[in-house]
Formats: sequence, structure tokens, C-alpha cells
Amino acid sequence: MKFFKRNLPLVLVFIVGMVTLASYYVPHRASQEVYLDTMNKWVNIIAAFAFLLGLLSLFYSHYHKIKKKADGWGYSLFVYIGFLAMIIPAIVSEGQQLDGPNLTSLGWAFRFIYNTLAATMFSVLAFYIVSTAFRSFRIKSMQAFVLFLAAMVLIMGRVPLGDLLWSKILGWTGMSLADLVEWIMHVPAVAARRGIMIGIAIGAAVISLKIIFGIERQYMGKD
Amino acid sequence: MSETWIIIGGWFAAGLTIFMFSFLYKDNPFFKIAEHLYLGAGMGWLFQVSLYDVWIPQVWDPIMQGKLLVIVPALLGLSLVAQFFPKISWVSRYGFTFVMGYGAGLAIPAVLSTDFMSQVAGTIEPIFKIGGTFNTVSAWTSAFNAFFIFFGLICVLFYFFFSVEHKGMVKKASTVGIYFLMLYFGAVFGNTVMGRFSLLYGRFDDLYFYSSSKYFYASQIIALALVIYFIIEHFTSKKRKIQQEAK
Repeated sequence: MKFFKRNLPLVLVFIVGMVTLASYYVPHRASQEVYLDTMNKWVNIIAAFAFLLGLLSLFYSHYHKIKKKADGWGYSLFVYIGFLAMIIPAIVSEGQQLDGPNLTSLGWAFRFIYNTLAATMFSVLAFYIVSTAFRSFRIKSMQAFVLFLAAMVLIMGRVPLGDLLWSKILGWTGMSLADLVEWIMHVPAVAARRGIMIGIAIGAAVISLKIIFGIERQYMGKD
Repeated sequence: MSETWIIIGGWFAAGLTIFMFSFLYKDNPFFKIAEHLYLGAGMGWLFQVSLYDVWIPQVWDPIMQGKLLVIVPALLGLSLVAQFFPKISWVSRYGFTFVMGYGAGLAIPAVLSTDFMSQVAGTIEPIFKIGGTFNTVSAWTSAFNAFFIFFGLICVLFYFFFSVEHKGMVKKASTVGIYFLMLYFGAVFGNTVMGRFSLLYGRFDDLYFYSSSKYFYASQIIALALVIYFIIEHFTSKKRKIQQEAK
């Protein structure tokens, strides 16, 4: 049984990992198109089922909350209501958001419920991000000052007020605020981003090798 | 969708937006309702995407056409659900290991090519292209920028290089690297702030839109109702507090 529980999954990860890795370097149609295309479709299918795992887990935890009448259990009902508010229209309109120029019921639910909630949820973060900035931008060191300066230049560079102030105060330099923003994004920021990306690439490659060779196996859970 | 449904939608959108924003004042039941609705609606949206983009066209239809190979990924996917049953939870490893193996195999060449080689090449290439006459400002600027990026990258890499002790020149280089990183983080932060604010403008724009007579002043009425709720809640909670203290 240990073979099926532990060894076979490790063999599977090794074979799939090595074949996928090799397929990148084999310039044959079978590996570039057939294998990778098929595998991409397969992984999409598995990811869709993985989503089902998350959905069932969420429903299970809220069902328990309702069943035990835990604190705030009434709110859990709205999880199911929200779910049904999207699923019923989706089934009615067969997954289509538009019927010609008109909204279908799914399009209606997406526009007035889901999109509204998602956009508002993320826009609320604007307030928190500003309050966080107020605390984190206390200029205690030169490094914190550079962080603050870069953020301020970027923020001011995106609003008309910034351009106006810049042209009044530093217009004589012949450089616009937009030029400075572009320079920051394309020169020093690129240097830092490349450093981070190179680090991530090396780390990702090493972890991937560890996964393929079965050295890293935490994702398999406990026996 | 009839005009009536669009107006009802406007009321929903205005209401949910105001409920979400009400959290800025304090935590309240209306925010919690909107929050839980968001969670459910998000799941519902993803479920319908999975249903109409994956399960039906990529699993159900091929099986109906006799292409039985898709049963393999479907079974691997279904194996993940075994997580809910402790006795057979190990079955889910097949699904996980397949995805991990494929992801790992794909990641190695992809990250080495795009995140490693391309970044190194992108840093070195402009330096080799420098040449000719430096008789224009843009030629000098390009050369300066190319060397500045190269210098910055080396300093940042020194900051992340832990195989030697950070002292002497290494420490100096890594300190300069921190400044480059701070510039980058500041720039990213600034961009994120502006991105969030553009979403915020969008929400305000919608609230303004739904405040028109066409939508029967949805935004104003809902906002007013919420203000009245908060005033009543303030006084009743105060009264409750006094009664509890008296006991």
C-alpha cells in the first residue's frame, strides 16, 4: 500500500516533470504542440476540479457555522445567496453575458452584483493603503526617504495637480514630471526589478528541481 | 433586460457599494452582508466559468463524442476531492503530483529563459550597443541609463548574495542596492495607490450615475437610510451600555 500512497505519486511527479522539461528542448511538433497543448488542457481540467475542492470546503465550513448557530451564522447564508445569485442566471443564460446588444441575466448579475462588489472591495483598499502609507512613510532614514520620494513622484505624476506644480516650480529644468516618472520606471526600477526577478528565477528553478526529484514533498501532506 | 431590471440593478449596485463603503465608518451588519455576498458571488462566478469553459466543453462534450482520453485528467481532478475523506485522502496526491510535476517541469525552462537569461541579456545588450559618436544628448542619456541599470542590478544582486559576509565593499554595494530596491518599491507602491484610486473614482462615478432621477435617487436614499441606521444604532448601543453599567 505504501507504494500506491507514497512511491507511485513520486514516480508520477518525476515522469511528468522530466517529460515536460525535456519537451521544451525537443523542437519536434509532437513535443511542442501535441504534448504541451494536451497537458495544458489537462491541467486546466484539474484546476477546475481543484476549484471545486475549494468551493466544497467553503460551503462545508459555512454549513457548519449555520448548523452550530455560531456567532454571525446568519451572514453565512449570504454566501449561499451570493452563489445562487450568480449560478441561476448563468444556467438560465447558458454562460452568456450578452444576447446581442442586451444583457442576459448572467450579464446583469455580473454587472450589478459581482463587478460592483469586487470593484468596491478593492477600491476600499485605497483608504487603507493611504493610512498605511502615512505610518510607513515616516521618514526615519535615507532609505525610507527614497521610498517616500519615489512613491510621491509616481503619485503626483499621475494627477494633473502634479504636472501643474512641477511646471510652476521645476519647469525651468526643461524636464516634465512625466519624463521623470518614465525614467524612474525604466531605469532604476528596472535594475531593482531585474535583481528580484533573477533571484526568483534561480529560486523557482531550484525548488522545481527539488520537486521533480522528490526532495521537496511537503505538498503531499502527511501519511 | 428590460428597463425595470436595469433600474433594479442600479439599486443593487448603489446599495452594495454603499454597504461596502460603510466599513470605513465602522464594522456593521450591512458591510458583513455585502462581504459574504461577495464571497458567494465570486465563487458562483468562478463556478460558472469552470462549468461553461472547462467541464462542459473540455470534459463532457469530448466524452459524449467518444474521446475518452479526457477521463484521465477528470479522474486526476476528481481525486483532489478525496481530501474530504481522511481514509482515502492519499488518493488526492495523484492530482496534486501531476500538477506539481507539470508545473515544475514547465517552470524550469520558462523562468530560466524569461526571468533569468532575458534579464541578464537585457542588461548587458544595451552596453554592447553603445558606440559611434556621442554627439547627441540622447546618445549620452542612453549610455548613462544602460550603465546605471547595470550598476544598479549588480548592487541589488550583492544585497541578495548571502554567501559572503556583508562587510567592506560588499556592504557598500549592497547598501546602494537597497536604495535601488527602495526606489522600485516606492514606484510600485505609487502605482498601486493610483490603481486603487482609479477604482475608487469608478465607484464614485457609479454612485453619481445611480443618484439620478432615472434610478429614483437610489444612491441618496440608500446612503440616507444607512446614516439613519447608524444614528439609531449609536443611541441604542449607548443606552444598552448605560443599562449594563447600571447592573
